[in-house]
Amino acid sequence: MPQQYPEEFEKIVEQLAELKNTSELMMDLAYSSILLNSTELAEEVQRLEEYVDRLHTEFELRVLTSKFTNEESKGFLGLIRLGVAAEKIADSAAQISEVILRGLEPHPILKLVIKEAEETITQLRVTKKSKLANKTLRDAQIPEETGMWVLAIRRGEKCIRPKPEIVIEPGDILIASGYAEGVEDLKKLASP
Amino acid sequence: MEYKSGMRNLEKIEYQPISVREIVLEMKNLSELMIDLAYSAALFNDKELAEDVIDLEKRIDHLALLLEMHIMIAARDPEDAESLLAVSRIGSAADKISDAAADIAAIVVHDIGVHPIVTRIFENVEERLIRAKVTKDSLIVGKKIHELDLAAKMGVDILAIGRNKEWIINPEEYEIIKEGDTLIVRGSSLGTKRFKETTEKSQNSGVK
Repeated sequence: MPQQYPEEFEKIVEQLAELKNTSELMMDLAYSSILLNSTELAEEVQRLEEYVDRLHTEFELRVLTSKFTNEESKGFLGLIRLGVAAEKIADSAAQISEVILRGLEPHPILKLVIKEAEETITQLRVTKKSKLANKTLRDAQIPEETGMWVLAIRRGEKCIRPKPEIVIEPGDILIASGYAEGVEDLKKLASP
Repeated sequence: MEYKSGMRNLEKIEYQPISVREIVLEMKNLSELMIDLAYSAALFNDKELAEDVIDLEKRIDHLALLLEMHIMIAARDPEDAESLLAVSRIGSAADKISDAAADIAAIVVHDIGVHPIVTRIFENVEERLIRAKVTKDSLIVGKKIHELDLAAKMGVDILAIGRNKEWIINPEEYEIIKEGDTLIVRGSSLGTKRFKETTEKSQNSGVK
């Protein structure tokens, strides 16, 4: 049964969800930046890290001023700690991406590890002939067709976050993670 | 962040001849699994799952120390040191990620709990993680993982198998599912729901 909570609480949860999702996306992007030796991706991770820092402060202030009851205080402490953990994960992701930004050559072992890990990362350019071109991400049904998740879309210099309503353009580079088997399927879809 | 009370029993550490690649790979896989486990533990207030996370954290700590030793041995000149620095930074990042997961697990273990409103977070994400117990009559008992073709059929993946108090992380394709296994599975909410039904229902219940 969905319980009704004050609007302020809903906002807190929204921000915590954003912290959690962003920190996890950052991890994937950070590992991608190593595998692909990509400064753009590493910079995107740094940008997201600044965003997470701001968001985290806002979130904590919101929690502290939310007028929770005495009985609720423990549960809210739990929320605060979840936020701290998400922020720590984001920090770790930033630390990974710094390897690239400091011009360290990613050791060949690292590339092997990222490729061999359960979920691999790939980048593919969307061609004009691709069925994906000019579709929204939602309609493109990439996870359903290939089992791959789009982590980011690179369009020229920009790195776009994959919201469902984003329209995929020919020339976009999709950065996706998933099982190795999905890579070929995604390749067929994106660059037939 | 300290989550244990009293003295910590620290495990003796000794050099082991495993490859750096294997260490880093395991650290990466484990740290990622731990985050998912930890959030699930927080969401369902699942103490067992939370204790699994804290257990796995000890494994990562161990791996982190091994990695340090290997790196020290491997660096022979400044060039080595430079290229190994990246490995060391990533190892320490994976360690930090596992710390964060343990912090989340500690919320559950220490009975702090999270406000129930937090469940809303998980309803909005596409992927979720569940724990399914393999029953005696389950359709998947005795099958190899690849025979189940889970990714294609249900869009789910088995991330770990808990068996006899040990964890098999990222089980191989030919691993056979046994009665009593605890399976940690990731997928869409529909996929994981179907998987749980298949795993926990018996052959007689008429599930395909």
